[in-house]
Amino acid sequence: MALLELDGVTRRYGALVALDQVAMRVEDGEVRAVIGPNGAGKTTLFNVITGTVRPSAGAIRFADQAIAGLASHQICRLGISRTFQITALFPEMSARENARLAAQARHPRRWQLFGGSRIFKEAEALADAALEQLGLSAIADRPAGLLSHGDQRLLEVAMAMAQQPRVLLLDEPTQGLSVEETAQAVETLARFLQASRMTVLLVEHDMEVVFRLAHRITVLHRGAVIADGAPDQVKADARVQEAYLGGLD
Amino acid sequence: MSRIIALILGLILLLAPLGLPPFAMTLLTEAVILGLFAMSLDLMFGYTRLVSFGHAAAYGLGAYSCGWMLLNTDIPLLFAVFAAALLTGMIGLAVGWMCTLATGVSFSMLTLAFAQLLYAISFKWTSVTGGSDGLAGIPRTAGPFGFAALSSKAGFYYLALACLVGGFLVCRGLVRSPFGAVLRGIRENEAKTTALGYNTRLYKIAVVAIAYGLGGLAGALYAPFAGFANTELLFWLLSGQVLIMVIVGGAGTLVGPVLGAAFFMFMEHQLSAWTEAWALYFGLIFIAFVLFAPHGIWGLATGRFRRASERH
Amino acid sequence: MSTLALLLTQTVNALSQSALLFFLGVGLTLIFGLMRIVNFAHGALYMLGAFVGYSLTHWTGNYWLALAGAPLAVGLFGTAFELTILRRLYRRDAHAFLMVTFGLALVVGEAVRLTWGPDALQVPAPAALAGVVFMLDEPFPVYRLFLVATGIVVAIAIWQFLERARLGLLIRATSQNADMANALGVDVRLIRSCVFGIGCGLAALGGVLAAPLVTASNGMAGTVIIDAFVIVIIGGMGSFLGSLIGALLIGFVQVFGNYYAPDFALAFMYLVMLAVLVMRPGGLLGKEA
Repeated sequence: MALLELDGVTRRYGALVALDQVAMRVEDGEVRAVIGPNGAGKTTLFNVITGTVRPSAGAIRFADQAIAGLASHQICRLGISRTFQITALFPEMSARENARLAAQARHPRRWQLFGGSRIFKEAEALADAALEQLGLSAIADRPAGLLSHGDQRLLEVAMAMAQQPRVLLLDEPTQGLSVEETAQAVETLARFLQASRMTVLLVEHDMEVVFRLAHRITVLHRGAVIADGAPDQVKADARVQEAYLGGLD
Repeated sequence: MSRIIALILGLILLLAPLGLPPFAMTLLTEAVILGLFAMSLDLMFGYTRLVSFGHAAAYGLGAYSCGWMLLNTDIPLLFAVFAAALLTGMIGLAVGWMCTLATGVSFSMLTLAFAQLLYAISFKWTSVTGGSDGLAGIPRTAGPFGFAALSSKAGFYYLALACLVGGFLVCRGLVRSPFGAVLRGIRENEAKTTALGYNTRLYKIAVVAIAYGLGGLAGALYAPFAGFANTELLFWLLSGQVLIMVIVGGAGTLVGPVLGAAFFMFMEHQLSAWTEAWALYFGLIFIAFVLFAPHGIWGLATGRFRRASERH
Repeated sequence: MSTLALLLTQTVNALSQSALLFFLGVGLTLIFGLMRIVNFAHGALYMLGAFVGYSLTHWTGNYWLALAGAPLAVGLFGTAFELTILRRLYRRDAHAFLMVTFGLALVVGEAVRLTWGPDALQVPAPAALAGVVFMLDEPFPVYRLFLVATGIVVAIAIWQFLERARLGLLIRATSQNADMANALGVDVRLIRSCVFGIGCGLAALGGVLAAPLVTASNGMAGTVIIDAFVIVIIGGMGSFLGSLIGALLIGFVQVFGNYYAPDFALAFMYLVMLAVLVMRPGGLLGKEA
C-alpha cells in the first residue's frame, strides 16, 4: 500500500476539466516529479491533495486514510505540507521565527494565551533542525524578507519540514531563481532529500532539476496522466515528447 | 533607555495625585482611561492588522452597561466595572464571529456597521439607554465592601491606573505567547498562516473578544468617571479618533497607543484653547504622521524602531 | 391615498434616494476598483459638494451653474490631493490609504464647519424644478423625478464611458492589470489621478443634487459615508453594476423600511449587508473576498 494514492481524481470547473481521472501511487521515500505543459493541471493536483480544492470525483488516500473533502488545515495536520509557486513568508520575522511558527502549528497547545516558553523551545528545536537540513543555519537570524531569492525558496521548504510532514509537496521550488541560484538550491535539495528520505511530490518546469532529483516522473497533459515511470522511460516516451518535451529547452 | 523612560513615567503617574491640581487630575484620569481604550485597539490593529472602524462600540457598551448597573442596582463600583467589561468581551465574541465572516475591507465595514447599529439602538431604546440624552448622574457607588476610597478623585485615578497597568500586563503576556506569535503571523501573511494549518478565524475572533473586553473596561471606567454615558460614546467619530491615537502613538507597541491617547487629549485641550480649528489641525497632523512617521510617536522616541515587546 | 398611488409615491421616493446613493457609491467603487483605495473621505466630499453648491447658487443666483461647478471644483480638489499626498503611498500597504483618507475626511469636515458654520443651509431648487406633478391624482415633487432622471442619465453615461470611451477602456484595463497596462504604455499615474478626481466629483454631484432636498448640513458626511460603504460592499467593491444594484436595493430598503417599520429600518440595512456578506463575501458582483 502506497503512502499516497489517487484514484480517478477529477476536478471540473464548469466545462473545463482541470484533472481527468488521475491515478497515482507514491511510495514512502519516493521523490515523484509531476511535469506537464502550462495548464496541464499540476497546481490543481496539489490543491486537491492538500484540500484547498475539493475533487469533483475520485478518491485520495493518505496512509490508508481517505482525505478527499477534508479541510486544508486538517490535511495539513495529518502530515502533508506544501510550498507555493509564489514565495510566501513572514518578511519581518527572522528565518528561525518563520520556521518556528511553522513548527508551532503542529503543537497541541499552539494557541496558548500566556507563557508558552516550553512550547517555543520545542518549536525552535524543530525549526533549527529543519534550517540545518536545508543549509540555512547561518542566516537563521536574518529577517526573511532580506534573504536572497534562493534562500527564501529553501526557507519555505524548511518551514514545511519543520512541520515534520510525511509527504512534502514542492510547487516549483526553483521558480524565479537565476541559473546559479537554481544550481545551488538543487544541490542543497538533493543532499537534503537523500539524507531525509522524505516522500516528495515535486512540480517543476526545469527538466534538469527534475532529472537530478526525481525517482519517478508523472506527466500530465490537459489534466490527464499520459505517462508515469522512471526518468529514462519518460524521456523516451513518444507521447510525452509530442505533448511536452518537444517544446522544452 | 526605554526602561529608564518607563520608570520615570511610572513614578510620575504614581505620584501625580500628590502634586497636580484637581482639574489636571481629571485630565490625567481621562487620559489613562483613553489610553486603555487605545491599547485595546492596538491588540486588534497593531498586532493582527484587523482594521476596526467601530471600536467605539466596545467603549460605549462598557460605559452604558456599567452606568446602567450603577444607576439601577446596588452593585458596587468595582464589580460593576468588571462585570461590564466581561459583558462587553462576550459581545465581542459575537461581533468577532460576525465580522470575521469577511476579510479585508469588508471586515472593517462590518465593524463600522455594527457600531452604527448600536448607535442607532442607543437612540431608540430609551428605556434602557436614555435615548439621545443618555444616562446621567452615574454615581460612584463604592458599595458595602469599604471601597469608599475609590469614590474620591485620587482613588478613582488609582483604579483607572491599575486597570491600565493590568491591561498592559495582560496584553504583553498575550503578545509574547504562542497565541501572540500566531497573531503576528496573521498580520504579516494571513494566507501563509492558514496554509501552515492554523485556523486563523478562531484567533481573530479571540483577539476581537479580548480587545472588546479591554475596551469595554475603559468604557466602564469612563461612565462613573464622567458621571454620564451618551450616544457620542458609540459614534464612528470616536472610533476614528481611537484609531488615530493608535497610529500616531505607534501601532503594535502597546505603549505607543497610550502615548497617542495622551497626545490626542493634549491636542484637544490645548489646541482648542488657541483656535477653533483644532480638529482641522489635528487631522493634518494625523495625515503627516501617516506619511512621514508611520511608526508613530513611540517609533520616533525609540529611534531605530524595534518592536521590542514581541521579540522573544 | 389609494394603494397604487402610495406604492408609486414610495417607489419614486426610493428611486430618487437610490439615485443619490448611486452617485455616492459609483465614485467610491471606481476609485477602489482602480486604486484599491477605500476613500473614507467620500462622505465629506459629498458634503463639500453640497456646501460649495450652496455658495455657488448664492453668488450666481443660478442653481444650474452650481450643479456644474461644484463637482468640478471638488473633483479638482480630489485630483490635487491624489497628486500631492496619495501618490506617496502607493508603495505602502493598503492601510495607509484608509488612514490618510480618514484624515482627509476629518480635515474636510472641519473645514466645512469652520467656513460655513454649524447650521444647516437651505439651497433653493431652481424654479423649473420646484413644483409638483400630478400622477394618479397624487402630487409628486418634480425635484424627485428630476433626481431619478439624472440618476438614469448619469448611470448610462458612465456605463457608456467605461464601455466605449478611450479613457474608459484605459481605466478598465488598468483596474484589471495595472502592470500590464503600464507595460503597454498607459500612463497609469495619470489615470489614477483622473479616476480619483472623477470619483470625488461624482460624490460632490450627489451632494449638490441632494442639497435642495435635505439641506446642506454638517452631519451629512457621517450618515452618508456608511450608506456609501454599505452599497458598495453589497454590490461588490470595484463593480460599477454592483454599485447600481446596491444603490437600488438600499434605496428601496431605506424608504420602504422607514415607512413600514421606522424603528427597524436602520437595522434592515445592516441585516441585508450581513446577509449578502455571509452568502457572497465579495459582494454580489465583487472581485475580492
